[in-house]
Formats: sequence, C-alpha cells, structure tokens
Amino acid sequence: MEINKPGLGAYVTATYPSKSAFLNAIKCLSEVSDFLEVGIPTLNPKYDGPVIRRTHFTAELKGLEAIGVAKYGAVPTILMGYFEDYVDKLELVAQVASDVGASSVLFPDLLFEYIDRLEDYVVTMRNYGLRPSFFVASNTPHRLINLLVKYEPLFIYLGLYAATGIRLPLYIERNIREVRRLVDGITLVAGFAINSPEMVRLVINAGADAVVVGTALVDRLNNEEECRRFMMNLRGGLPR
Amino acid sequence: MIPHYWYNINVDLPKPLPPPIDPYDGDSRIALLTRILPSELLDQEFTALRYVPIPDEVRELYARVGRPTPLLRAVGLERALGTGVRIYYKFEGALPAGSHKLNTALAQVYYAIKDGAREVVTETGAGQWGLAVSLASSLLGVKATIFMTRSSYLSKRQRVLFMRVYGAEVHPSPSELTRHGREALRARPDHPGSLGLAITEAIEYTLMGEGRKYIPGSVLGFVILHQTVIGMEAIKQLPEEPDLVVGCVGGGSNFSGFSFPMIGAKLRGEGFERTRFLAVESEAAPKLTKGRYAYDFPDSGGLLPMVKMLTLGHDFVPPPTHAAGLRYHGAAPALSLLVKEGIVETRTYGQEEVMEAARLFARTEGIIPAPESSHAIKAVIDEAKRLPRGSVIVFNLSGHGLLDQDFYEKVVG
Repeated sequence: MEINKPGLGAYVTATYPSKSAFLNAIKCLSEVSDFLEVGIPTLNPKYDGPVIRRTHFTAELKGLEAIGVAKYGAVPTILMGYFEDYVDKLELVAQVASDVGASSVLFPDLLFEYIDRLEDYVVTMRNYGLRPSFFVASNTPHRLINLLVKYEPLFIYLGLYAATGIRLPLYIERNIREVRRLVDGITLVAGFAINSPEMVRLVINAGADAVVVGTALVDRLNNEEECRRFMMNLRGGLPR
Repeated sequence: MIPHYWYNINVDLPKPLPPPIDPYDGDSRIALLTRILPSELLDQEFTALRYVPIPDEVRELYARVGRPTPLLRAVGLERALGTGVRIYYKFEGALPAGSHKLNTALAQVYYAIKDGAREVVTETGAGQWGLAVSLASSLLGVKATIFMTRSSYLSKRQRVLFMRVYGAEVHPSPSELTRHGREALRARPDHPGSLGLAITEAIEYTLMGEGRKYIPGSVLGFVILHQTVIGMEAIKQLPEEPDLVVGCVGGGSNFSGFSFPMIGAKLRGEGFERTRFLAVESEAAPKLTKGRYAYDFPDSGGLLPMVKMLTLGHDFVPPPTHAAGLRYHGAAPALSLLVKEGIVETRTYGQEEVMEAARLFARTEGIIPAPESSHAIKAVIDEAKRLPRGSVIVFNLSGHGLLDQDFYEKVVG
C-alpha cells in the first residue's frame, strides 16, 4: 500500500493513554489521516522529546503486546520501534507487523546504531510481505541515502529536528531540499515538531511528500472531536 | 585567499552520526540549547549542506586577523632529523590570540550579535579559548564574560591579563555570581574549579540576564565546522599530497578542523587516497585509546545534551598536565566515529617526551610551540624516523607557547 502524496500522517503510541482510548484514536485518525505511525511502547524512547517519552512510559501495555490490541490497515500503517529492543527478535516484530496489517516497521536507530544489520532488516521485511522504510537525519551521509534509495523503501522519513516535538532554529526547508535531491523518486516523509497548517505547507512546499504529526496530537487523543478538528485544520496546509 | 566555505564532514562520514539525546532526568537539554546558543550555530550543527558558506563579514574578520595563516616547511627540523622526510606545518599560532581558537570565536560572536546579543559568556581552562573570545568580542564590539577555572586563573596570570586588555570580564570559577558557583565555594572555600563547573556557571549566568548568549570552545559540530577553515586553506597551500597528517586532540577541534577537509576528499575518492591521519592525545586524558564509544555529556555538569563519542566519562578528572588544553574527557563525535572506523589513527604521549620535542622544534624552527601542539610535534618526529625517505608529513601547529611559562621552565629545567 503506497502513501498518498501529498499526505498527512498521525503518530500515536500504542495503548496510550489507555487501550480503549487508543482504539478510539486510531479509528478516528484513520478517517482524517493518509497513514498512521504506531509507536511500540518502549522503556528507552531515546530519540523522543519529553511529550512522546511520557506516552511510552504511561502506555497501558508495553512492547508488541500493545500493538496487538488492534487491527490496522484502513490506511497504510507503519509500526515504529527502536531496533535496540528487537536486536534478536527482528522476525517476531515482522511477524506481528504482518499479522496486524501494518505495511512496514520503521526503526529510527537502525542506521545510527545498527547499520551492520541493514541488509538483514531489509530481507526480513520482505520475507514477511512488508516494505522497508528508513529514518534519516538532516546530516545523514549523502552516500548512505543514495544506497537506501536502491532498496526501494516505502518511504524515507526525515527527522527535521534532533528529537520529536522540540523545535530548533534550523533552516528546515533547505535541509528538506537537500534530502529531496538525494532520495530521488522515493516518498519523502518529514516529521518532528509539526503543529500547524502553515508548517505542513512549508514542509510540503520544500519537497516532502508527506508529513507526520505526533507530539501536538498527544493531548488531544482523549477527545475525538478535538482530535478530528486538529487534523482537519492541519490538512488545510496540504496543497489541493 | 580565504576560503568561501566551511566543510561539513558529517554528510560524508562512512556511517551516520548518532543524534544528540536527552537523559531521562530533568528538563530537556536539547530544548535548553535554543535559549543559550546563537540560532545559526544550532542550524550549522544539523545542516544537510556539505559546504557551508562563510559570511562575508566573517571572511573579512579572518583577513583582518591574518588568515590565511602560513603553511611553512620545517627545513630546520628536517635537517636535524636527517631522515629525508619532508615536513610542513600550518601555523595557527600566527593569529593574534596565539591559537586556532579564534577561527570559531569570530564566527560564534558574529552569530551571537546577529541574534541581538549584547554579551557573550563562556568558560575557559588554560585560557586559549577565553583569550580568543575576548579578542573576537573586542573586534566585534560586544561584552565578553569569561569563567576561568580558578587554578588556571591563579597560574596563567598573563592570559587573564590579556583577556582584560581586550576588555573582557574574567571571573575565577567557582565564583559568587552563580548559584552553582556559590554552592561549590560553600562546600569548599579553596575549590580549584574544573572546566565542567565553569561551563555550568557560564550557562547559568547566560540564563540569568537578558541579551546574553553562551558560546562553546570545542567538541560541538559547529565549532569543528568553523575550524575547517584551517584545512580548506591547507589543501590550497600544500605543494604536494602528504603521506601523513598529524594534529593534537583535546576536544578535537584543531585536529578535525585541519584534517577533515582532507579526510572528506579521501572518503569521496577525490584525493588523499594514500594519506594516513594521526590524532595525538595526552596521557592525562587518553579518550581516543582508552575511552568507551558511548553516549555521554560533553560537560561535567550534564547541562548539555548527551552525544555519542569516545569518552572517559564526564566526571573523569584528568591529572594535571601543562598541556591544559588536552585535559578533556571526550572527543568530538565525528572524530570519535572516524577513530572507531579506523580512518583516523591514534597515539598517546606523556609530558616528558613531549618536552623534548618542543625543545627541538623551538631550536630548529624558532617558534616556541604550545605544550598542546608539542604532542603533534612529538608524533611527527617519531614518524619521520620511521617513514621511508621522500615521505611527506604535514601537521597543525595549533598555537604558540609564549604564555606557557610553567611548561617551558620544566623544558629548560
């Protein structure tokens, strides 16, 4: 399943703030998002900012058990986990992802800390009928990005800032343009600290195909109406 | 000719640089950066550009202070060694504050002023960085406040004096100005200070007042980026491609600034294919050879985000050495990664052997080298004896040692 371009994705941590609220949230978000990114709750959400970290710590269930409470696939769904937690359990993650109807598993620490497992990851994804996807930072080596393109991933995710939800004074448009140049025709998803239709527009205009919102959604997840209104407002930033 | 660009090696590294992370206790250090650092510096830390334009104003300042610095042939040293190896060195001590530190001080103060800062705040150990910031602030017309470790404040009186000549306010750290300083003094009235505590005080002081920006002297990516002006110039100046490139490492900014443009060319397959790169550290802080490659704080106080680097631990207290600029627990993340990947070789020297090298260099080349840079000289001498005739070595002479009386009294004593 490909990701709509231009697209808006929503990030939620599985079973945060509770199992039932999470189930309501993904149902609602599936109606107003082009894709979902579902975090596998971890004890070490190292690249996340304080808000998303809190969702990992307070999720009702932990690990893959939290993922298993729902069926996904109304819109393309990508699981997001830290490779560190699944170094020896890659097949299990792929199996679960496949069972629940996800399209890919994104490991933000794969390239930064486990690059020797890159090939292994790609093969495992494919063996379970999933597509690989990759997380890069703005200063990720150009040659590595060129290599990632050859794996024909579902998308390449550009983290716009150092951690989720923490905005820094960076020229993100320039960084998106640089990475766009390198990823060629592969779907480029951008995220971190996106919270307004203006920012959605800016990121898409700079060359991203889709954006993900996470931190800004967290406090709205309990209120279906507010959540829906917020996402619809962000959609206003997508070019028609 | 002054380069138009600084070089960002991150985008050419053989593996990606792991991102900085926050620890789980306390407030976000990453978020804190936006309150204390000039914004352009944060952008440069994460830029996707390979070549970052040097603002015209900074290029003009580089010209005013004497850039490009000379690349000299060490004819006297070559003769004394008699090994038939040709030796060149880039002399950063030719800059008015006496070391390479001015390359980033000028850029950082420039960017701080662009953000509306009326005062820049920093820490210094031996005083090379403090002196460079004082000079840069004086040239650019902004106030500099320097927290200097108390032991150095008392022993390096000339550097304190010259910082004041440039108009800086210099405080021994721990000081009465900050909460952290007062607490340290209460616990121990004769506290000698530490670089970590001085950083903590500088950051606290920055947050206490309006119009202040904090600027750091090493380790961070943008510091190294600015220092690549050394290597960008050297590539143009070198009459022949070296077999060996050498520099000393405290936090890594002079070695990296000098070598990264050449290492980058090698990684991209655009030259320097047969060149080796050698980073030299002090026995007092052997992070390159004995450090762990792990996430750690760049400052002892743990106020900055954690970065993945070769480190002896942020609470490691190096024993005293006259090369105070090498007394640092970690090495810059990109340099650490290159060491890890075997692209940069490492070596460790003790103080005694380095003194002999400093003496020989002074007597054959006429320049009194900084104790820190003398570590590089020692490695050059050893390598010149090993390499085949006709080999070429180039090293970075990161500073002069004219203010290092304590070191030279031992050298002649």
